[in-house]
Amino acid sequence: MSSRIAPQAATQPLLQIERLQVHYGSVQALAGVSLQVHRGELVTLLGSNGAGKSTTLRAISRLEPASGGRILWHGANLAAVPAHRTLKLGIGHCPEGRRLLNRQSVAFNLELGAYLRRDREAIAADLERCYGLFPRLAERRQQQAGALSGGEQQMLAIARALMGRPELLMLDEPSLGLAPKLVAEVMTVLAELHANGQTILLVEQNAQAALEIADRGYVLEAGRIQLQDNATALLRNPQLKAAYLGG
Amino acid sequence: MIEALLQTLLNGAASGGVYALVALGYTLIFSVLGVINFAQGALFSLGGYLTYLFLGGKIGVNGALPGWGLPVGLPFWLALLVAALGSGAVGLLVERIAFAPLRRRGAEPLLSLITSLGAGVVLVNLLQLLMGAEGYAFPQGAAGLAHLPESLLIGGARIRTIQVLLLAISALAVAGLSLWLENSRSGKAMRAVAEDATTATLLGINSVAVVRLAFLLSGMLAGLGGGLIGMSVSLAGPYFGISYGLKGLAVLVLGGLGSVPGAIVGGLVMGLAEALIPAEASGWRDALAFAILFAVLVLRPSGLLGRRQLEKV
Repeated sequence: MSSRIAPQAATQPLLQIERLQVHYGSVQALAGVSLQVHRGELVTLLGSNGAGKSTTLRAISRLEPASGGRILWHGANLAAVPAHRTLKLGIGHCPEGRRLLNRQSVAFNLELGAYLRRDREAIAADLERCYGLFPRLAERRQQQAGALSGGEQQMLAIARALMGRPELLMLDEPSLGLAPKLVAEVMTVLAELHANGQTILLVEQNAQAALEIADRGYVLEAGRIQLQDNATALLRNPQLKAAYLGG
Repeated sequence: MIEALLQTLLNGAASGGVYALVALGYTLIFSVLGVINFAQGALFSLGGYLTYLFLGGKIGVNGALPGWGLPVGLPFWLALLVAALGSGAVGLLVERIAFAPLRRRGAEPLLSLITSLGAGVVLVNLLQLLMGAEGYAFPQGAAGLAHLPESLLIGGARIRTIQVLLLAISALAVAGLSLWLENSRSGKAMRAVAEDATTATLLGINSVAVVRLAFLLSGMLAGLGGGLIGMSVSLAGPYFGISYGLKGLAVLVLGGLGSVPGAIVGGLVMGLAEALIPAEASGWRDALAFAILFAVLVLRPSGLLGRRQLEKV
């Protein structure tokens, strides 16, 4: 998958974060993060453990309150929006560790992904699309989600997020704990979604895999953005190479 | 002999049904919040008194307003329904006062055991203040049961009509609740919150609203149980619900914490076991109930139908 340069000319970013700060008690997790995602882009947020990647996504989903800065969605501040309303606004969050309903069936997990939607026919069509995208899930639709393999669970988590038809799909380390072959599979699916116009904000530790499919990338370190560039440039960046891409 | 056994079984099933109602009330709240609402027994009492008043019963001489009564005399099914709604509303209030402030402050969830116990004590004492400590027998005839026969002949056994009603109504409530949890949109939302509140939130479910719904339904179940017991036995004083609350707690653990089928099976096991104790040895009933609980927990620590703890990934 070649990295493309997204149309930066678009007037208003879909998501714009300005100097975002988040504190856990007295510990500062984010120290002024600014980033933007435009419609149709695949943006990746890279960084090591504890850099603040998940916190950034959790702040966008309003699971964590911001202690400074602001998050603009379609230009409107999200500060007063409760967490359960963010999906309704179009922000889908596939969280760290997948967070499936492990005791429920694959089908129930997917059904609940479309909890807010009332368009039964379109839901049924999307369900078939998800099963088409992930044939393994179709075979196991009646199985408990907790009984799936790690790769299948990740597929289910992505499929469940897609069932909500989010305008922006945020994924928190979908490659975590997966064998290289499965990582490639997940990335191929994300690239396909992107090619079909899905806007994606992808949090990853696997910088190489993420940058290969992304348009642009940000590198987060200790709660601050250290680097930002388009993906091809980041892949060649000596600093990043040394730190994340294994020399 | 067969008749006597049938009679015993039906009686056992009837009180088992009420135990199941109480245990299901605990289950709903336990599954969404992971805590026990100790005000459940007081809500049970409240349901009994509300049913009494809506049936047209008058306040006794030791009450705050002796001789006063509601200017209504509802048929029994309507009185039960309204009383259940009343207990549900007070259940919501208990959530507001004893649970929500702790959750907002991120307090240790176990603390709500104390706050809910306190809410229950306040509620029982309010009942005592308003209604007095005396027992109440339900107004005869006013129950709308007047045109029903006192007892029915089922398979050669004479069964009090009220026992049959008790069993039927609790079975209906339990079945309705199970179907609702299984099939309705809000029932599914509750199951999602029960398993993972954060995930549910990200899927667009308002988990605070779901928690409130759990308290409403749980209060309604307790209130219904109290009304049914009041109708079939009597109200033995404001504390009468507490012992049912404790029995429900035993049933909850017996069946398996957080399991809906477990609460139902546990209730029936408990009710039937008690009914098999002959009347002359009725003092042993509670001992038997807790002996069963003890034995089950030794053999199956997660209860009859409880799931083993999932290992965290």
